[in-house]
Amino acid sequence: MERNISSEILHQILNMGEMLLNSGAEIKRVEQTINRLGKAYGAARMDVFAITSSIVVTMSFPDGTEITQTRRIEQPAGTDLSRLERLNALSRRCCENGMSIQELAEGMDRIRKEDTGSWYVYLGSVIGAAAFSVFFGGTVQDGIAAGVFALFICFCQNVLSPFCPNRVIFNLLCSLAAGIGIYGVTAVIPVFHADKIIIGDIMLLIPGIAMTNAVKDMLVGDTIAGTMRLLESLLWAGALAGGFMASMWLMGGVL
Amino acid sequence: MSSDVWTAGIQLAMAFVGSLGFCMMFRLRAGLLVPASLGGLFCWAVYLTGAQYVEGIFLPSFIASAFAATYAEVLARKLKAPATLFLIPAVVPLVPGSGLYYTISYAVQGDLEVSAGYGTQTLQFVLGIACGMCIIWALFTTVRPRKN
Repeated sequence: MERNISSEILHQILNMGEMLLNSGAEIKRVEQTINRLGKAYGAARMDVFAITSSIVVTMSFPDGTEITQTRRIEQPAGTDLSRLERLNALSRRCCENGMSIQELAEGMDRIRKEDTGSWYVYLGSVIGAAAFSVFFGGTVQDGIAAGVFALFICFCQNVLSPFCPNRVIFNLLCSLAAGIGIYGVTAVIPVFHADKIIIGDIMLLIPGIAMTNAVKDMLVGDTIAGTMRLLESLLWAGALAGGFMASMWLMGGVL
Repeated sequence: MSSDVWTAGIQLAMAFVGSLGFCMMFRLRAGLLVPASLGGLFCWAVYLTGAQYVEGIFLPSFIASAFAATYAEVLARKLKAPATLFLIPAVVPLVPGSGLYYTISYAVQGDLEVSAGYGTQTLQFVLGIACGMCIIWALFTTVRPRKN
């Protein structure tokens, strides 16, 4: 029975780690949170190793029992900063005041169910793309066009990306389609500047969070995780550039 | 001169709005939108000011990125939230979307010399952002008292 309780504890702690990683936390935060939670639930020693695609934890109790669980992180990390904030607050509360493992699990369930609503993300993409199109010298019309194509990109990211788990291919196809669309529209309506519209939409697809996290991971000593993430995000950025290049090349004859 | 001021004003306003957009895209809680997006505005203001006094791209973006990281760390400690929440919106105006576009655009047109020029600019921005953040993190993680 004792055994079951401790493995339930570790299971929930791993859930926390997985959710943190999937909402955009750095490796150090994931490892530290798992470490602190484990100690809060009575572990004498925690051995935690996390990279972007896997978490391995061995929890040692004062009576000498040890349990190990691993978790493979399959889902490509989407970013959800409010979830990250709530998870962080929950684990802080748990470590400071203590709570039963059921309470922790319920807290995580609540966080998992709370959804900001996808309109929020769509609106954000439109505003972001439009603003950066103007920021880099586009006209107001360019901004509006960038916003419209941002809707398309956001739709792809939300609805189509689950069908395309390989993010390199996804970025390639998404930027190719957006590029063809943008060049097509500018060929028909000459008030638009294709370059400024594309720049606005490029900003949405650049894996900014992954890159900053990668640099941070490497700096604080998680070299393997950081290198993995950096390579991944460079591949994504390369695919994005390749997609737009291909669309330019394809549409070059039309323009 | 006045057109420069006008451009800078537009850029600052758009840096704020753009950061706001990114915050929403990454589902930042509504209560934090304004402080987080202000980071983007301040960061770009620091970049523009830096670019007045220092030549090149690397140094101004380095300074702006260091500023953004400091802003994020300070805000994170004040509001007891992870610094990532404030770092991403603050640093987003420095992301060289434009440089990346012109690099590939000139490469497709076969003008490799111009493309390489833009490529170097893009790289300088990226390196500047990375180094600026690193310096600040190194300071913050060194200074932070060790917990058992």
